Amino acid sequence: MDAIFTLDNIRYDYANTAQPALRDVSMSILRGQRVAIMGANGSGKSTLLRILDGLYFPKSGTVTAFGEPLDEHHLMEDAYAHAFRRRVAFVFQNPDVQLFNPTVYDEVAFGPLQMRWDKQKIARAVADTLDMLEITHLRDRAPHRLSGGEKKRVAIASVLILDPEVILLDEPTAALDPKSQSMVVDFLVGWANSGKTIVTATHDLDTVPDIADDAYIFQHGAIVAHDTPANLLRNHELLLAANLVHAHHHHHDGVPHSHPHFHLGHAHEHSSGI
Amino acid sequence: MGGEAHHGKRRGNFIQRTIDALAETLERSLYAEQLAEGGGLLQRLDPRVKLVAMLGFIICAAASRNLPVVVAIAVVALGLALVSRIPFRSLMPVWIGMFIFSGLIAGPAIFLTPGPSLATVPWLGWQVSSYGVRSATLLILRSEVSITFSVILVMTTPWIQVMKAMRVVGVPTTVVVILGMTYRYIFLMLQSASDMFEARQSRVIGKLSNADARRLASATVGVLLSKSFQLSNDVYLAMQSRGFRGEVYTLDEFRLGRNDYIAIPIALVIIVSGIWFGYV
Amino acid sequence: MHIPDGYLSPSTCAAMFAASTPFWYVASARIKKTLSMRMVPLLSVFAAFSFIIMMFNLPLPGGTTGHATGAALAAIVLGPWAAVISVSIALIIQAVFFGDGGILAIGANCFTIAIVGVFVAHYTNRIVAGNSAVDSSRRVIAAGIAGYLSINAAAFATAVLFGIQPMYFTDSNGAPLYAPYPLDIAIPAMMIGHIGIAGFAELIVTAGVIGYLQKNDISLLSIAQTGVPAAANAAVASGWQGARRMWLVIATLLVLTPLGLIAAGTAWGEWGAEELVALDGGQTITAAPTGLLQYAAIWEAPVPDYAVSFLSSEQLGYILSGVMGVGLIIFTMLVSTYIAARFTRRNEHSNP
Repeated sequence: MDAIFTLDNIRYDYANTAQPALRDVSMSILRGQRVAIMGANGSGKSTLLRILDGLYFPKSGTVTAFGEPLDEHHLMEDAYAHAFRRRVAFVFQNPDVQLFNPTVYDEVAFGPLQMRWDKQKIARAVADTLDMLEITHLRDRAPHRLSGGEKKRVAIASVLILDPEVILLDEPTAALDPKSQSMVVDFLVGWANSGKTIVTATHDLDTVPDIADDAYIFQHGAIVAHDTPANLLRNHELLLAANLVHAHHHHHDGVPHSHPHFHLGHAHEHSSGI
Repeated sequence: MGGEAHHGKRRGNFIQRTIDALAETLERSLYAEQLAEGGGLLQRLDPRVKLVAMLGFIICAAASRNLPVVVAIAVVALGLALVSRIPFRSLMPVWIGMFIFSGLIAGPAIFLTPGPSLATVPWLGWQVSSYGVRSATLLILRSEVSITFSVILVMTTPWIQVMKAMRVVGVPTTVVVILGMTYRYIFLMLQSASDMFEARQSRVIGKLSNADARRLASATVGVLLSKSFQLSNDVYLAMQSRGFRGEVYTLDEFRLGRNDYIAIPIALVIIVSGIWFGYV
Repeated sequence: MHIPDGYLSPSTCAAMFAASTPFWYVASARIKKTLSMRMVPLLSVFAAFSFIIMMFNLPLPGGTTGHATGAALAAIVLGPWAAVISVSIALIIQAVFFGDGGILAIGANCFTIAIVGVFVAHYTNRIVAGNSAVDSSRRVIAAGIAGYLSINAAAFATAVLFGIQPMYFTDSNGAPLYAPYPLDIAIPAMMIGHIGIAGFAELIVTAGVIGYLQKNDISLLSIAQTGVPAAANAAVASGWQGARRMWLVIATLLVLTPLGLIAAGTAWGEWGAEELVALDGGQTITAAPTGLLQYAAIWEAPVPDYAVSFLSSEQLGYILSGVMGVGLIIFTMLVSTYIAARFTRRNEHSNP
């Protein structure tokens, strides 16, 4: 298996905070791999995804994507940018950011239009994608008339239409009702043998074994653990230290004790929703 | 003493009024979208044809120097509203609102405009000028007719289609795309402003002082502005992620149908003759 | 206020589109250069924002309410060019979808609010704020004054548009076809409401929001400078060269306008409120309500009755007064740009 992304000693700083958003991050993501990036809010998960998508560029260190350096300069070239954007898709945590078009149809057609596909091909692809995600009836709907689950479906449709090789998902189950959460997890599970590379940033630990074969835990912008999901989830002390679970203190028959408590994902990171 | 009944519908404090206004805007667009799906005559026409025709009618009304032609155009407007099944009750408030607005402005012109005297107001001794009456009537009628056409357009056409159709009258594609995104984010912000006010409303006991209301409004606008900037940055990333490189491309989905080929000559005849007869 | 359709003649509407177009053109060229790819999302979101603030009805001192146009706020936060476009877009949406302002009058409304209003706010703010710190209270005061003057300038421009209608657009008998009041009624009637009420709504929103941002999100107050760095620096440095081409276009328009107006010809003549009561022998001229007479008395134009006394033709006098007025505005703008540029330069030298 060849590496799709190779990160070497990445550091990223935000302008107005002293603490780096990411430091000393080195990792490689292989073709067809399903990777989970776990971490509490502010651990740097979203920043990492944005670096993988060529939206942010590290202050130091190198990113290699598909065997070529991924940097600001390279992405200025039209041909490279188009090829890269087609191959790598990003599903943002906040659907109000992801859905910027006035109708569902325009939203799904946006990517292909930027790729300068011809009109017939776009029309066919949009129809197929809407059909695949069972949202054909929402075709002319405005985003503010969609439920949370519907917005997520449209967001997924809007990136799937380009048939990307890599899909980056930022907290895909956050702020969704249970039914929509399981819909998203079903998609992620369904992509298991599709050959697509899936990188999911999440703190919804329950779903991790189903959606990933490989997992990282981030804390304060650095990798603190890298193992299979099963092994990581067994290590309660590690999860506790990374703020992915918190201890509940109880008294049972007058004997105080504590045990880790799993938190289902409903927190918001990088949420700019209005 | 807050919230006296005699203030009517608009009673309540500043927060309540603002929430009402925001909610009303949301409802109006929803209502227009439902009507746009209704099976009236205009709903079956291409948005470009409708846009250009309505614009033509409005120009006709504006250009006409003679009252009977403006009246004839008003009849066209009423006829179109009727065959498009736009309920009377949704046009009535528009007409009344415009009548009050234009009436207040045009009213004094009845006395102020120089011209042959028609009558004298008892006691006050003001002369009613026939030119003044004509001018006021023209002004009110024109403004009513114009707004009726634009209401007909936006009530029979999904709003986003109206925006896309604007390209035929020379609005640049980039502006059309910006209009579409603006429209999309207006609703997000309406919701957000309304949530902020409601959250505040639930904590207010009694009447908010005017000074507090102004502070609250400033703070809400400030929060919206901060969020807008953050939002625009994130939307920019989302657009880039899907291949946006600064140039906008749109789909041209409109296609003229049989109804359009019938409608175009009819509209053309009405507009051209309206302008012709209006000028003489 | 937003001008509805029916108040302005089609030719005035067309002229206002023509007058707005160079500003839109320069604005989009500048924004494209400075914001490049960010332009579309930034303008869209801020146009949505401008639309929303036009909906806030504020309680004002004295028991009335008013709403702000947001033009001044946009000018201060986004810089004038981005403000021109986003306020224009908000006005277009208001006109087309909410019937607030006419369709044919879009050009006129954009010119008065999104161009005159925005630039008056921009220059006022720049002059009053000077080089004070971004978090100083002088900035809040500057914003308030900019808001107040901005909406009043827009109202004045609107009143002038109304006021010239009966001069040029009448039927064969001389009855006005569009807005019926001449300048000496339209201007005071329009300005009283704006000087007294609406100006304060704009003042409160503009100053209030700038004050709020100083405390809570001060980074936003440097978008116009830092977010668009090239624009802010270039605007001062190239204030003369960059804008010169546009002033040339305006100057040409100014020269052509009087010619067009004279060609349009047959104005019914001058009739101020005083003349209406001066009943002539035929008793055909009606009396004016005394209230309006009072309004008219409040407004004392620097050039009496808009007519330059040594000119025999009053119509020509009007035209010259108008040209002088616009020339005065342009002159003030240029002088203020020059002063602002010198101020900045001197400060840069003194603080190396």
